[in-house]
Amino acid sequence: MVIDMHAFPGFFEEICENPEKIEFRREQYFLYKQHVWPLSLFITQLDAAGIDKAVLSAEDVTTRAGGVIVSNEEVKKLVDMYPDRLIGFAGVDPRREDAAEVLEKAFTELEMKGLKLSPAMQYFMPGDPLMKPLYEICLKYNKPILFEAGMTWVKNSPSKYSNPLNFEDVAIEYPELRMCLGHFGWPWTRETAMLILKYPNLYADTALLYFDSPKQFFQTTFNDQLGEYWIDRMLYDKVMFGSTYPRIEQKRMVKATEALNLRPRQRAMVMGENALRFMGMEV
Amino acid sequence: MVKHYEFFVMTKDEYYTEYIGDKVKELVADSGVQNGIVSVVTAHTNCSIMVTEPLDCILSDLDVLLHRLVNDDDEYSHAHFLPTYGRTSANAYGHLRSILVGNSTVLSLVNGKMTMGEAQEIVFMEFDGPQSRKIFVDIIGE
Repeated sequence: MVIDMHAFPGFFEEICENPEKIEFRREQYFLYKQHVWPLSLFITQLDAAGIDKAVLSAEDVTTRAGGVIVSNEEVKKLVDMYPDRLIGFAGVDPRREDAAEVLEKAFTELEMKGLKLSPAMQYFMPGDPLMKPLYEICLKYNKPILFEAGMTWVKNSPSKYSNPLNFEDVAIEYPELRMCLGHFGWPWTRETAMLILKYPNLYADTALLYFDSPKQFFQTTFNDQLGEYWIDRMLYDKVMFGSTYPRIEQKRMVKATEALNLRPRQRAMVMGENALRFMGMEV
Repeated sequence: MVKHYEFFVMTKDEYYTEYIGDKVKELVADSGVQNGIVSVVTAHTNCSIMVTEPLDCILSDLDVLLHRLVNDDDEYSHAHFLPTYGRTSANAYGHLRSILVGNSTVLSLVNGKMTMGEAQEIVFMEFDGPQSRKIFVDIIGE
């Protein structure tokens, strides 16, 4: 089982009927030339990459940019087309007055499997009391949170909000709340390694690519800058495969994981089993 | 007279080939042009159009040759983030294979039919799929 924890669904034609919305997504997501194509092609791309399931997340930047990049309803629409291949995560702007209400609806009516938040894009500190209602709703419904951690390419999104160390207080205050530090918190990867080593409820994903080809970047990041065997020997149950699609093709990110020095059992966990456990879908 | 057409091929894998001669012949028939030339060009830079004999063994040998000439994992300068796209390019091998094979072919049109050798077929080649690929067909003549 291979699961991509980190994919952005904004450019599937089934939810791109409005040209202004496509331009808003291109601008807000810093994907200026992204083409629109049918969801069926995405499924073919998953097949070609050897990926069984992908998590698609909504994105809400209402108070910062005046709109929702991809709504929870749009994610639900896509997931319903391929329920065996796609998993929906909700998005909500924590600064919206109705944030708690939106999240409750996403978990109940729309059956979202988790919450995606971006502190840098949504201008909040993870430990801000503002976040308390959302964290408590996630605990109430036993849903995990995928955080955009570390650097995001998106403009006007300061990294001071998404430094991985900002999540430590939350991990301590909410030990039952499962959280993933997306992008492995790059460039603070050592801090991310420390956090997922120490806190049972913290995970990280491999959706990081900032220089070079994916395989070269994984070699540099995981084998040269971190310990070559750190994931295989210690962090194998805390790291999840993620692609950051469509900033890069998923097939290249799957291939990049060949650079990770993982034994078969640990590889199976990183590529999919940890994601199932993280999402409470363990079988 | 010039007639311009476009059609799409939905490729199914990273490396993928498809015979497109029948589709081009349909467009020739639709054009009404009797004598001239037919131009077939791919709109992309990591796939190709070429003519060869439609045999699996030929395409297999070409597959082996292109992978021998162009390795997936060589050190390519093209492997970096592209700020104007917001994406990372890591598909140099696709571009290079496309350059080697070429992006177009031109065929003769005589008495309303494409004139090809008995062993010839038009082949579309994908080097960075799966993708939706656009092909231009221009029929020029009278």
